[in-house]
Amino acid sequence: MNPGFILSKLARGSLTLLLTVSFVFIVLRASGDPAQIMLSDEASPAAIATFRERWGLDRSYLEQYLTYLTAVLQGDFGTSFRDGRPALDVVMERVPVTLLLGFTALLITLVLGIPSGIIAALFRGSWVDRLTMSFTILGHSIPNFFLGIILILVFSMTLRWLPSSGTGSFWHLLMPALTLGTAAAATIARFTRSSMLDVLHQPFMRTAKAKGIAHDKRILRHALPNAAIPVVTVLGMRIGGLIGGAVTIETVFAWPGLGMLLVNSVNQRDLAVVQAVVLLIAFTMVVVNLMVDLAYGWLDPRIEVHNRRVAKA
Amino acid sequence: MTSTDLSAMALPARRFGWLTRLWKSRPSLLIGLSLAWLALVVAMALFAEFLAPYGYADQSLLKRLQPPAALGGLPEYLLGTDNLGRDVLSRVIYAMRTSILIALMGTLIGACVGTVLGIVAAHFRGWVDDFIMMLVDFQAAIPFLIVALAVLAFFGNNFVLLVVLIGLFGWDGYARIARGLVLSTNGQGYAFAIRTLGVHPAKVYIRHVLPNMMGVIMVQVTLNFPEIILLETSLSFLGLGVQPPGTSLGLLLGEGRNYLATAWWIGIPAGVVIFLTTLAISLVGDWLRDRLDPNLKGKPA
Repeated sequence: MNPGFILSKLARGSLTLLLTVSFVFIVLRASGDPAQIMLSDEASPAAIATFRERWGLDRSYLEQYLTYLTAVLQGDFGTSFRDGRPALDVVMERVPVTLLLGFTALLITLVLGIPSGIIAALFRGSWVDRLTMSFTILGHSIPNFFLGIILILVFSMTLRWLPSSGTGSFWHLLMPALTLGTAAAATIARFTRSSMLDVLHQPFMRTAKAKGIAHDKRILRHALPNAAIPVVTVLGMRIGGLIGGAVTIETVFAWPGLGMLLVNSVNQRDLAVVQAVVLLIAFTMVVVNLMVDLAYGWLDPRIEVHNRRVAKA
Repeated sequence: MTSTDLSAMALPARRFGWLTRLWKSRPSLLIGLSLAWLALVVAMALFAEFLAPYGYADQSLLKRLQPPAALGGLPEYLLGTDNLGRDVLSRVIYAMRTSILIALMGTLIGACVGTVLGIVAAHFRGWVDDFIMMLVDFQAAIPFLIVALAVLAFFGNNFVLLVVLIGLFGWDGYARIARGLVLSTNGQGYAFAIRTLGVHPAKVYIRHVLPNMMGVIMVQVTLNFPEIILLETSLSFLGLGVQPPGTSLGLLLGEGRNYLATAWWIGIPAGVVIFLTTLAISLVGDWLRDRLDPNLKGKPA
């Protein structure tokens, strides 16, 4: 992979991050006096004076912006007024819980979505195809918090099989991860199917058949790698959906992760924590998008060549 | 979608050709049902005062937590009552009004802002184009629910801010589409010819380019609208969108969540309405796309 390609993607990712930090800064300044907002109402005048001093609120906007930028780069997001700890610490201790939920949901997405999409494409027009496609439309339309509530109603309240909220065991993880994973699985199945159908109609598939390559090998070695690229794109886009979905799902199932922290912090206007969560999520998204872009170059060398050509033109 | 795909959409001959195409195709039963449901939802939203048996805040504390009529509740409360003795059916009907209204306004804002920015980007090219496309990439990179939550946290909740925020969701899709269409149209003979005649660019866009775009924009609306409903209901469900005493479908479901074990009928009907509405729009949207997008004709779905 050529370094120019990676560098241009890195620059783009950094730009997005810079935009997010600037966005948070502008919103923070536009919403009133940060000293009043970031500290609680009961803060002493001395604390407010220290705060103003530290963030340079008496200086020009440009200087304030640079101070803010430096602080963020150093991992200083201010202090949570709920318990006075650094906001970053409050946020980081929730990360593993959310990652556990997120990766399980991603696993469910892949295991449900990709095979069902492939099977639907291979048996196009059959009842398997129609059934899969019906499920994808249903899975796509049902709001995830509603699905979560239905699951709680059925499996916790009525059948009493699964715990409705909290964390601690595999059984606690099952319903939130399923709820979060199925919506994404619906999208992935749809894209896998259409992408497979596109590839199956390509001339090179006919050539492979004419050369006498076995059916299974044609599908595995020729069709799948070529169908993977749009699927990876959509998967990258769905990561954002997973993170957004985690916010509501964690609240439904009282899963003590980042999403619940964000909702609680917004409710209590613990703004240092809110901005830390937003910036952390932005950072995650940029890294994910970068990985998706790099995966392209690896899956399909043509993209890199194409990019280079566009850059020259 | 590449610009060559789109050029077929921008033929100058029949400006409202997409309307004729739509008129000529006959919908299936499923699409018919979806359209009927959507018509019902719109009717409920428009005529809530006349259709709802009670006001959405009318309480009768003696008749609290009544189950739906079919499950042994009182016959005058078709879907039962909530913890304050309010009629669930009436609340759902009024909630439809709020949710549909917010979604409509949000879609309108997003479509207008996005289309105009897309046209501006394609018209001026250069750094204007770069800047707008940078904003588009930025919008697509960060989950919007998170941004919305952050803005609501900083500014506090109010209805106007909520509508504006929801309107800003999805503008990037319209901008991308409008930009691509304008770029491909500007390369075509008719746009050049009109411009050579000395017609002002703004007039070219309004009179000739926009009408040609409407088909594609309509399809984008059907993709965007369910997502906007989900955004508003999610925010309201989390208690950060529409605030009581107002109602929204998401807020009703959020309120009903606390009574799942004892009175599930408080929240579930609102959830069903959200689900059926987004489902109906998605189905109609798929159907529209098949009808309106000539590129898909004859190709495997």
